[in-house]
Amino acid sequence: MKKLNALIKKFRSIRFVLTVLLLVTLIFTSFSAYYKIKYWGFSFSPKQNTNVWAIEAHVSFIADGSPINVSLAIPSKNKGFKILEENIIANGYKTQKFADKITFKSRNMIGEQDLYYKIMVFDNMQAKDKLKDEAPKNIRRPDWDETTLAQAQQVLSLAQQEEGDDNIEKLIVLFNQEPLNPALKSYLPVQYNQKQKLEIMQQLLSLKDIATRISRGLNLEEGQKITPDLMLEAYVDGAWRIYDPNTGKKGLPDNFLLFQRGGNSLLDVIGGEDSSVRFSIQKSITSTMNLASRRAKLSRKDGLYNLSIYNLPLSSQNSLKWLSVFPIAIFFVVLLRNVVGIRTMGTFTPMLIAMSFVQTGFWAGLVCFSVIVALGLLIRFVMSKLNLLLVPRISAVVIFVILIITGLTFFGHYFNIKIAQASVYFPIIITAWVIERASIIWEEEGARNAWHELSNSLLVGIIVYFVISNEYVRHWTFVFNEINLVILFAVMLLGTYTGYRLVELKRFASLVKGTKK
Amino acid sequence: MFNWIKAIKELPSQLRAKGVLGMNARNYAVISQHNSRRLYPLVDDKVQTKNLALKFGVKTPEMIGVIEHQYQVADIMKIVKGHEEFVVKPAHGSGGKGVMVVKSYHGDNFTLASGRIIGYNELYQHISNILSGLYSLGGQYDSALIEEMVHFSSAFDDYSYHGVPDVRVIVYKGYPIMAMTRLATKESGGRANLHQGAVGVGLDIKTGKTKLAVQHNCPIAFHPDTKADLSKIEVPSWREHLLLAAKAYEMTGLGYFGADIVLDAQKGPMMLELNARPGLAIQIANGEGLKKSIKRVDKSYPSGLSAEERIKYILQ
Repeated sequence: MKKLNALIKKFRSIRFVLTVLLLVTLIFTSFSAYYKIKYWGFSFSPKQNTNVWAIEAHVSFIADGSPINVSLAIPSKNKGFKILEENIIANGYKTQKFADKITFKSRNMIGEQDLYYKIMVFDNMQAKDKLKDEAPKNIRRPDWDETTLAQAQQVLSLAQQEEGDDNIEKLIVLFNQEPLNPALKSYLPVQYNQKQKLEIMQQLLSLKDIATRISRGLNLEEGQKITPDLMLEAYVDGAWRIYDPNTGKKGLPDNFLLFQRGGNSLLDVIGGEDSSVRFSIQKSITSTMNLASRRAKLSRKDGLYNLSIYNLPLSSQNSLKWLSVFPIAIFFVVLLRNVVGIRTMGTFTPMLIAMSFVQTGFWAGLVCFSVIVALGLLIRFVMSKLNLLLVPRISAVVIFVILIITGLTFFGHYFNIKIAQASVYFPIIITAWVIERASIIWEEEGARNAWHELSNSLLVGIIVYFVISNEYVRHWTFVFNEINLVILFAVMLLGTYTGYRLVELKRFASLVKGTKK
Repeated sequence: MFNWIKAIKELPSQLRAKGVLGMNARNYAVISQHNSRRLYPLVDDKVQTKNLALKFGVKTPEMIGVIEHQYQVADIMKIVKGHEEFVVKPAHGSGGKGVMVVKSYHGDNFTLASGRIIGYNELYQHISNILSGLYSLGGQYDSALIEEMVHFSSAFDDYSYHGVPDVRVIVYKGYPIMAMTRLATKESGGRANLHQGAVGVGLDIKTGKTKLAVQHNCPIAFHPDTKADLSKIEVPSWREHLLLAAKAYEMTGLGYFGADIVLDAQKGPMMLELNARPGLAIQIANGEGLKKSIKRVDKSYPSGLSAEERIKYILQ
């Protein structure tokens, strides 16, 4: 009894240690997944592509001969997008880059001038809502007489009746009503532009002690000669918040690249006239994994990245990707054998069948496998009459399998049957052993048992195939490959499972039912 | 529908209450705890088992010779000289695979127990196959064992369709805890495998009398082919059966094993082979779980007794 207790204790402690290890690896995996997503830009979804935008700012003006000083606001870092490449084309100009602007200087220019600033950016979703900037110093109030002030208060109270989360949103909604509320008409000229509208809003909000400013940015849609969109920023609860001046919607819209924030203007041209800046945007799609090293560099986390498997040559990465999916396949084999209790031919034969199915595609694999095994069995039956010794016999079966595969591949190409061409991917040794085992079981225990074991192996193979061919499974096991440590301990923990297997419930059911049939 | 789900849900706890030993529990909690791996060769290799049995006074069919290498196969006639009948079996075989029983021979004609007559070449081929590992566990090279034929007692004649039944006794810590005999049927093709349709008869451990008879997991009263009343089975020399099984504990040191015993008409019970990983079907034939008996042994059975004393203890 004491011994039994000690045994249980020992047994429990193994289970306990494995459980702890499982949890530790689970935490480690979650942390590393977080790290990889945050700094390397890996994603949970196997949607491997990231949009890369090529944006060209075209500054044009007419130089009047005096010294030229052009200043163009540029998107600084940490504004929802990361800059991949930067390129300036400005012949005869001295350029200088600052954190949020770029300046072009020249002395002796005359006539039409064209300056280009090109960048490639990709979205950096995790930095999207971080819009840190210094707090406003003081709020400039409009210099209005009392009548205008009273009217302003009236407009503000009108805005209160609109829908919206806060005063700013309500005011924006009021300004965007169609037709325009008559109370606003005294503020706005008959023909007004977006900027004028925003400035009025700013003045009205300043009466409520809300600091605001206008920002400019680009809605990233492919196109030419795009003018920047204006956004209203308001300082609320200690942070700058962005409002869409047309809808009142809070926050930065998706695919919106901020170029200029705060009081500075987008473009300042000294020594020229008729200045304008036009943008053109082009989209291209790049694999997320390709961007990972650049992302890592940009976030200064490239030390680990350079040591990771993702820095290996692509061919090695592909092999590792293929390998990384197997632990989960093994896990399922263990589960199906030790918890469900399906008997298969050899422990990992089903896994190898599944591997070939991945290469061939499901239906092609299934058809090919069945044909190869059926033909192989036929030949094996003829051969069993010859009474050969084991090693030469199985060797002969291997050669027959090769011949069958050769034949199928040949016919596949000759008659252009895609399915038959797939046969070349089957592992010959394993297929030969499947045939050998099936025929031995057939001879010794009858066709039913042979068929039973064959179909069981195929069933497990198919289940494993669906696991390892799943896009998400393959993505996760490679991109977050620490998960394989978790699987390792899960498999080891399954090694201490002493409960009934699912098929045993049926097998031993008669023991419970007693004499009932 | 819901009753069905409910029944499935309750099944594990019901099986546990019955003390049914599952495959995982057998492997993890019984075999790996009580059977040291280094002892396996003692029972997996029938030549070693036989030599051990000889040393411990456990009766087994007498060994005529062993063929270990291909070049010795030609010596087969020299080896069996003076024996009118003999059995060829793989030393590492299991479940009766690769066993050839030669009832008589004249010149190049060998008459097998099944009545089939084969030539010398086929016998030679069969031994070669055994050596190449065709019937051995895992397919490794094997040797062929040539032993005396057992003259089965007629006690089971009515109960089996072809084939001769043996008695399987499960021994835990030296105590026989469960026993059964497997009767071949037409459906099982003369084989004793329960999942192929053979009849399993659970035997009362104290008396050797029928406890329960099942075929395909269902209790039956009569043999489907011979129509013999299965409830009337009583294994003769039961005490000797138990003693033989119990002695194998000292012989091998295994804490848990199955002993297959056959009854010779003249020599009495003889141990055919031992199995360090006996199957679980015996529970179905007994209508009872093994775990119950294992717990009982752990709890109250005395340790340090001799085989004789242990048998006396369980028969009291």
